[in-house]
Amino acid sequence: MTTTEDDDRGFKRDLLASLPNLRAFAVSLTGRHDKADDLVQDTIMKAWANQTSFTAGTNMRAWLFTILRNEFYSQMRKRGREVQDTDGLFSERFSVHPEQYGRLDLQDFRKALDKLPDDQREAIILVGAAGFAYEEAATICGCAVGTIKSRVSRARTRLQELLGVSGEGDFGPDAGHAAITARAFGG
Amino acid sequence: MMSDDNRKKQDMIISHNEIRPGSVQPNASISRKLRDFYDAVQEEGIPDRFLDLLEKLEEAERNTKSVKVK
Repeated sequence: MTTTEDDDRGFKRDLLASLPNLRAFAVSLTGRHDKADDLVQDTIMKAWANQTSFTAGTNMRAWLFTILRNEFYSQMRKRGREVQDTDGLFSERFSVHPEQYGRLDLQDFRKALDKLPDDQREAIILVGAAGFAYEEAATICGCAVGTIKSRVSRARTRLQELLGVSGEGDFGPDAGHAAITARAFGG
Repeated sequence: MMSDDNRKKQDMIISHNEIRPGSVQPNASISRKLRDFYDAVQEEGIPDRFLDLLEKLEEAERNTKSVKVK
């Protein structure tokens, strides 16, 4: 009896501890705080209802991220691909929470991140920001470790190209290359 | 969770790749920006709506349990 109550408390405590990270992942996927918070809410409800399927002592964060990711893609499939309008979405995002991205380089970064294909974006976020190992990221995305590695590497290359364009103004010998990239990616 | 040591190690590996003359180490700066962006959202903490939601879920569970006990 007390053991179950302790387990319950442990579950809630671990869930709470994972929430800020989970929410940042949701914002990265949806690009918008309001949609992200709806997604997190759905994830909490699902996780709570499926508590018994979670094995205590295993990685709750990875479990929650998997639920959130599945929820995100199934909602996207239902809604169709409205998320593709990256430029429109981008300005909308900024009108929702402009204070989030006060620093200009962070805004540029956000914009570049939006231009990545979904699979590359989630891979680089999971490994580069959320703190998962390649193996964990592969489990969350339901693909091979090698696939995650190549997605992360392609994402880095693409971000480098995109940020090179709007970049830090320190190109030196690469200026010619930057001009070509600027044309290719529409500035 | 990736430890700080691992992150540092990763940054070091990354910064060894492709250092072009006249450019800042591009991958290292991308890694940093990625984490800056992500951390900015994490630092917002947990919105009240989720604390309320968990409170309600917990209460609902307590009620079901006490009914079962009776």
